Formats: sequence, C-alpha cells, structure tokens
Amino acid sequence: MGTTIAIILFGMGVLGLVLRRDLVIKLLALGLVNGASILFLVSIGDRAGAKAPIQLVGETAIVADPLPQALVLSAIVVNFAILALALVFVMILVERYHTTDSTRVEQEVTREIDEEKTPCL
Amino acid sequence: MTHERFRTLLAACIVVVFVALIGMMVALSNPDPVDSNRYLALNVEETGASNRVAGIYLNYRLLDTLLEVLVFSVAVLGVRHYLQHSEGIQLSSLSESEVVQTAVSFLTPLALLLCAFFAIFGHISPGGGFAAGVIAASGLLYVAIAHGMKAMEARLNPWRLARIEKAILLILLAFVLAPIALGKSPLSDLLPKGTPGELLSGGSILIYNVLIGMKVFLGAWLVIAAFAQHRGEL
Repeated sequence: MGTTIAIILFGMGVLGLVLRRDLVIKLLALGLVNGASILFLVSIGDRAGAKAPIQLVGETAIVADPLPQALVLSAIVVNFAILALALVFVMILVERYHTTDSTRVEQEVTREIDEEKTPCL
Repeated sequence: MTHERFRTLLAACIVVVFVALIGMMVALSNPDPVDSNRYLALNVEETGASNRVAGIYLNYRLLDTLLEVLVFSVAVLGVRHYLQHSEGIQLSSLSESEVVQTAVSFLTPLALLLCAFFAIFGHISPGGGFAAGVIAASGLLYVAIAHGMKAMEARLNPWRLARIEKAILLILLAFVLAPIALGKSPLSDLLPKGTPGELLSGGSILIYNVLIGMKVFLGAWLVIAAFAQHRGEL
C-alpha cells in the first residue's frame, strides 16, 4: 500500500518537475518526489506485524528493517539543504528578471548572453 | 508547440520507466522476516544502542552521517552567502497579539525540553540529533513569530551563532579523528559500549547525537534568520 502511494506520488512529482513552468511549483514538485522516496524507503522496510526497531539484546520480536530508516535520515537532511539553497537561487532569479516562469527566465538569460552581458549567478 | 509536446512525451517516458523499475524492484524482492540480515541479528550487541536506527547511522555508517552534516553546513553557508547582500534591510518589529505571545511562552520551553530529550535519549528511544535540532529551531521560530524578528536578532546575533555552528562542526570532526592519536583507525569508537537500554550506553552515539542536535538547531535557525533578514520580517 505504502509503496503504491509512493510510486504514484513520485510520478506526480516528476511530471510536475518537468511540465510546470513556475520555478516555485517545480521546487514543490521536487519536495513531493523527495517525500515519495522517503515513503517508499520506509514502507519497503516494513513487515507484517513489525514493531519499531528499538530492542534490547535477546528480544526476538519482529521489527521493521532499520536500514532504510537510517537511509531516510540522510534523504530528509539533503532534501532540506537542496530546497533551501534552490529557493535562494529562485529568489535571486526573481529579483533580477521579475518572473518565476522558467521559459521566460531562459529567454532573458539567452538575450543577455547575446548582448554579451554577464548573466547572474 | 512541438517543443511542448516533446517535453510532455519525455516526462511521460521518464515516469513510466521509473515506475516500471521501482515496481519490478518491489515485485522481485522477497524479504524473509525470519532470516534477518546482519544488521538485525547483531546490531544491538555490536553497537550497544537499543535504538537500532541510531546504531546504524551513528556507528556502522558514521562516515555517511558526517558527510550529511557537511552537506547541511554547506547549504547553510550557501543560503547565508547568497542572501548576504540584503543585510541593510531594516527588520520590522511586527509582533503578534498577547494570546499568541502567551501560547508561545508555553510552547517554546516544551520544544526545547523535547529537543534535549530527543538528543540525549536518541540511542535508547525514538529520536536523534537531527530531529532534536529541527524541534528546537521551530521553538525559536515560535518566539520569532510572536515577538517579531527584530527582537530575536537583538538577542541572538547571527554572526556569533554562525561561528558557534562551525565550531561544533570542528569538534565533531575532531571527535571522529581522535582515535588516530591513540593509534586506532579513524571513526572507531573510544567509549565503552555499556549495557543496551541504559543512558550511558552505545559508546559515542550519545555525544554525536548531542553535537548534531546543536549543529542542526543552529543551522536551521540561521537559514530561517537569513530568509527573514532578506524579507525584512518573517
């Protein structure tokens, strides 16, 4: 169940990332992709009737696989880092070109390169 | 228009390929709950931490976690660097109503207490440094919302906080490299494992959790402060 939802969310995120032109919406889609991969990793580590992976030596109850959960920690932190940095770059672009439309930003940058001005970033 | 159609087609292809690959992966893998992997079998004995996840990411995969902390630091550095030019903007002293301020005076100590609990008990109960740091930073965010960013900036100097953040990163690196001085391999654990389930167990995991908690707390707050500084308010 979790994996199915994760795959659907992942597809929606990738579609949004490629098809939408608004840079902020693109970042939201990136966040959705990341959330989907987190959900996917956590749900493949799950087992029927599994408890949280906190146990003492000798306890034998079935627990969820802790390895994907440890991976997820890295994913969350890297996601935070990427989103914060990408948001700053979007803010710089908006300040310079007064639009969040990626196609228009691209046109403006091409025009500036043609006019041999130094584009920002 | 053809360009647009090409993009749509490409996106559809990417999605179909990814979904097919992931679906295949899930369908073909068949984990056996009885024949557990090595992590499940020996993890608690080897690391001394009864929270198996903490045992993995702060013992077996400590190098990975360190690089993760570095990625986080680079992001904080990048955000502060690129938003630097806006430092002349005057912060507004907007503050919320008394109701919000009273609620915040209850919530923030609770958030800080939770932060301390998650960092210190991260190896024997759910929690850990990263979660603890984010909780504490949100606690400060409540205060900033209630009393205004200007009041916060007057009390917490971002420059000093950034220095403390980098100092914590250096302490973390020094702690990881310390075993070399004693003739052991780097990343090896110097502290005793202890009995799993007790507070002083799991070797250095407790120290790593506290340091990472402080680091993430300061880093997350610095990112929030940089954005607020850029905008003039929260």
